[in-house]
Amino acid sequence: MIDTAFAQLRLAASLLFGIPFSPDSLERLVAALRETRHEFGSIGAEGAEMVQGPPLDDAARGEMQFRRFRAQATRAARETAYYRQVFDQLGLDPARMTADDLIRVPLTRKEAVRANPDSFVRHSARPYLRCTTTGTTGTPTSIYFSSYEMRVYFAFTAIGSFFSGDITDEDIVQISTSARGTLGNVCLAGACAHLGAITYLAGVVDPIQALALLADERHLPGKRARTSILYTYPSYLGQLIETGLRLGYKPTDFGLRRILAGGEVVTAGLRARSAALFGDVLFSGGYGMTEIWPFGGTECPDGHLHFEPTQGLLEVLDPATRQPAAPGALGTIVATPLPPYRETTLVLRYQTEDAVRQLATPPTCRLRHHPACGPILGKLRLAVRHADGGTFPRDILEAVEAEEAVPLPGRCGFWAVPGGVAVEVVVRDDTPAVRAAIGQRLEAQGVPLRELHLYTDLAQLQHPLPLRGDLREQAFALSPLPDLLAPVEDR
Amino acid sequence: MAAAILVVLGGAWAAILLSWAYFRRYAVTRPPVGVFNLRDISVMIAGIVIVPYLYLLLPLWLVLGLLVLSMISILYLLWEPLLHARPAIWVATLVCVGGDLLATWLLGSTHPVAQAINDGLIVLAVVGVTNLWAQSGMRARDVTILGGILAVYDFTATSVLPLMGEMMTRLAGLPLAPQVIWGSGPTQALIGLGDLLLAAVFPLVMRKAFGRPAGLIALLLAAATIGGLFLLPITTIFPVMVLLGPLMIGQYLYWARRAGAERTTWQYLQAEPR
Repeated sequence: MIDTAFAQLRLAASLLFGIPFSPDSLERLVAALRETRHEFGSIGAEGAEMVQGPPLDDAARGEMQFRRFRAQATRAARETAYYRQVFDQLGLDPARMTADDLIRVPLTRKEAVRANPDSFVRHSARPYLRCTTTGTTGTPTSIYFSSYEMRVYFAFTAIGSFFSGDITDEDIVQISTSARGTLGNVCLAGACAHLGAITYLAGVVDPIQALALLADERHLPGKRARTSILYTYPSYLGQLIETGLRLGYKPTDFGLRRILAGGEVVTAGLRARSAALFGDVLFSGGYGMTEIWPFGGTECPDGHLHFEPTQGLLEVLDPATRQPAAPGALGTIVATPLPPYRETTLVLRYQTEDAVRQLATPPTCRLRHHPACGPILGKLRLAVRHADGGTFPRDILEAVEAEEAVPLPGRCGFWAVPGGVAVEVVVRDDTPAVRAAIGQRLEAQGVPLRELHLYTDLAQLQHPLPLRGDLREQAFALSPLPDLLAPVEDR
Repeated sequence: MAAAILVVLGGAWAAILLSWAYFRRYAVTRPPVGVFNLRDISVMIAGIVIVPYLYLLLPLWLVLGLLVLSMISILYLLWEPLLHARPAIWVATLVCVGGDLLATWLLGSTHPVAQAINDGLIVLAVVGVTNLWAQSGMRARDVTILGGILAVYDFTATSVLPLMGEMMTRLAGLPLAPQVIWGSGPTQALIGLGDLLLAAVFPLVMRKAFGRPAGLIALLLAAATIGGLFLLPITTIFPVMVLLGPLMIGQYLYWARRAGAERTTWQYLQAEPR
């Protein structure tokens, strides 16, 4: 208990003053959380506050975030090739910048990081892990992390799971994401090590194999009888649902209790339709990306996306003016991961291109003290702007995935046509009833539908939205090669 | 002498029984994260070794200050689940501590009124501290290890070295002296706070770990051991832990062998709700 108290004080010092974390102290805290839950059965809200810090009011939060932004900018200007040049050209000394100067710092675009990732790495850093994005939106981007950062992320992911209840030591976690999505996979696996859960990387293999793994019974003391947590992309989840129902699987064949879905838009239709295969399963969604890790969004029950203020600075900027978007207005997420969470690859005001709406009114939910925006609408460059505002991937996906006639994942595309939007969707059968139903759902989402193209063949899509579930990995069992795992004489 | 023994023995038994009753009825505010573990036992042992020297070396006003702060913390914790309202808790705590300070200052530490107040406070302190330990997840195994080590330490510090005798003599004149004491001179009887803490906490952790019978046997054995010691014609300070320590080890080994793994607090409260 005494060492836990010291670990809490050490964490509080980092959260208050922005000094580097002590990974040892964080790991002690995680161990203490585990011990506490084992001994007492639960951890109260006071425990969460002691570990995560008290909520800050707007003024204190703004002051804290600006000071850390300035510190990060100062380090970036001194220690990275990219930002030295940026601040030289700007004629701005980041150490002397005021809050009003923040808007002068130019947005960092994905192309710049992609073109020369090394120029964003601090000279004094000790990079250890080079993480690449999956590249669904183009050439993969690389971000370097130190072992210090990884230890910190593992610990914080575990702490977050403790208080959300997402993962416990009884759980068996299947990671069904691309093996190239290193950062998310490694952080989840690292957190599982702290939490005492079992984890395995299944990858984005043929859904038949993934379903077999999920249905497989385990006989491990203290663990659930089947895989209980699935971490995957919404589009791959859609493939699992579609394949599972086709193969005759039913909820009693699985032991899933929670699905951690991320990396893409999670629609209400997908959540609802997952019940047919997996039964009553909880969904945990969020928002995260390698470039701004660990700064990311947490979904609240009211549908907001909340961001932990000590981890980073959230700006929602009007895409045209690059000024803060007005309440209720459209904007894109611009994020700056702050110290002491981010020490190796520094990015300031990173333009994620992810479209969201500013909240029209201040939130009143449990996470109201954390900055928030609306749910992710999709990449801005995939959106279609029109007189009614804009149509985003979420608008289309929410409509099509809610319709049973559309096989999961919703495979679709959309583009601008005079007066509105043309939409193409893959359906099971192209009938007038299906056409009418999808059209109504799209219009209910506010899509000014002018053309609706229904196809029964995926290859007919003209402008398909990219899906991470298609980042398919091969496995020996389904390979056209001989079964390499079988004895040689049986091949 | 007999009266002094009866008073001190009554105080010791009251500490053990009240700790037991409080444990079953009230939940103290424990630290929300963390479980009492062997590292804490190590720190406690270090403290037990160092504190007597501090009491001997520090100026008396500083020693008194430490005692006042400690007692306020313990009593606040003790009264919290009983009185609930913060003002009431503070009033009760400050009345108790203030009463002891005032009585000792006005009447002298050997006056029966001052001794009665101080003894009462020490009994309450035992109830508070033992419940904080036990309700913070302290394991029977850890208390047994502590008891075993203290048996050796108590013998050394009390019988071999003059440490305990000197410390008790120095603190005897102070308010909030960590001992239950009655009388003065050759008719005086006393027992130290440390001995009472171990005697009172062991039944609690044994009950949590192995059930009511284990706790009750620990309680009866502790009470009987202390009672038996006062019946012996001992004229000097006796290291009580020399007897309590081995008794704790024996009981723990017996119950661990018979019942197996210790219950967690959660399992204990599921089986025996308050």
